[in-house]
Amino acid sequence: MADVTESKITDQHRAMIGQKSDPIEVVPRTEDAQRMRDLLDDGDPRWADGTGIAPPYILAMMEPRLPAELSPQVLSSGILTQTEWKFSQPIKLEEPLQAVTQLIDVRDRLGGRYGYSVLVMFQTAYLNSDGEEAAASLRTITQFDRPES
Amino acid sequence: MSQRYFEDIANDDELEPLERLPTEDKAVEFFGRDNPTNPAFGDAEAGRRMGFGGALVPGLLKLSWITNYVGAWAGPEASLRSVRVAFRRPDIAGKPLVLAGRVVDKRQEDGANVVELEVVTLADDQPTVRGNVQVEIPSRP
Repeated sequence: MADVTESKITDQHRAMIGQKSDPIEVVPRTEDAQRMRDLLDDGDPRWADGTGIAPPYILAMMEPRLPAELSPQVLSSGILTQTEWKFSQPIKLEEPLQAVTQLIDVRDRLGGRYGYSVLVMFQTAYLNSDGEEAAASLRTITQFDRPES
Repeated sequence: MSQRYFEDIANDDELEPLERLPTEDKAVEFFGRDNPTNPAFGDAEAGRRMGFGGALVPGLLKLSWITNYVGAWAGPEASLRSVRVAFRRPDIAGKPLVLAGRVVDKRQEDGANVVELEVVTLADDQPTVRGNVQVEIPSRP
């Protein structure tokens, strides 16, 4: 694999940083919460039947696809390498939230185990009907070029 | 499920390890059978075609296990602030995963009792996911 010593991130890629998607409505569904709780053997009373509260991992069902128009394609392939979930308030079942995704950074990673790669970071804010942030997720995609076979 | 209190927690306290067995069925069921997802999660052959040793375990399933693991340790009056994980290497369905964790910090922040933990998933004793979790834990009444 050839060493890359110069960034492949262009001004055009950098110009995308800070751009936001249109809001997408997502709904934490009761049936998803039940199915996931059962699968994880989760008997936590905080989000048991009848509480109206979703378990925090309901975010796994709600995360919108990363919008192509916000995704700079610096290298040919990419995988999810980091995720962070933050919670500001309990997520209520069946209460629609507006998900807004923003490209927050594009960064080189020179060297390392897999050679040159690029870290692309997105944040999705989940806003309730009062416009307050109920939760947020941060996703880092590591882009790389597949070695020629 | 018992409640843990801030005063009873010390740095380097270890969580009881917990074994989970990820299967192809669990991966598909996690996202719901009607929801399209990565074919490599439910199909060992698709995983092998992508260069892995079998069906992949979804990262979000492992993240959910970690969330649940710390939530159960902290107790029903605790409140999860954040969970951050780095996926270090792929996990293959059918191989057991062990969740382990320890307390790395406890502090008071704006009147809240915050406990921070490092958590890992281990396959064959090798970490596949490393995470940090922050949780608010009540004081002893």
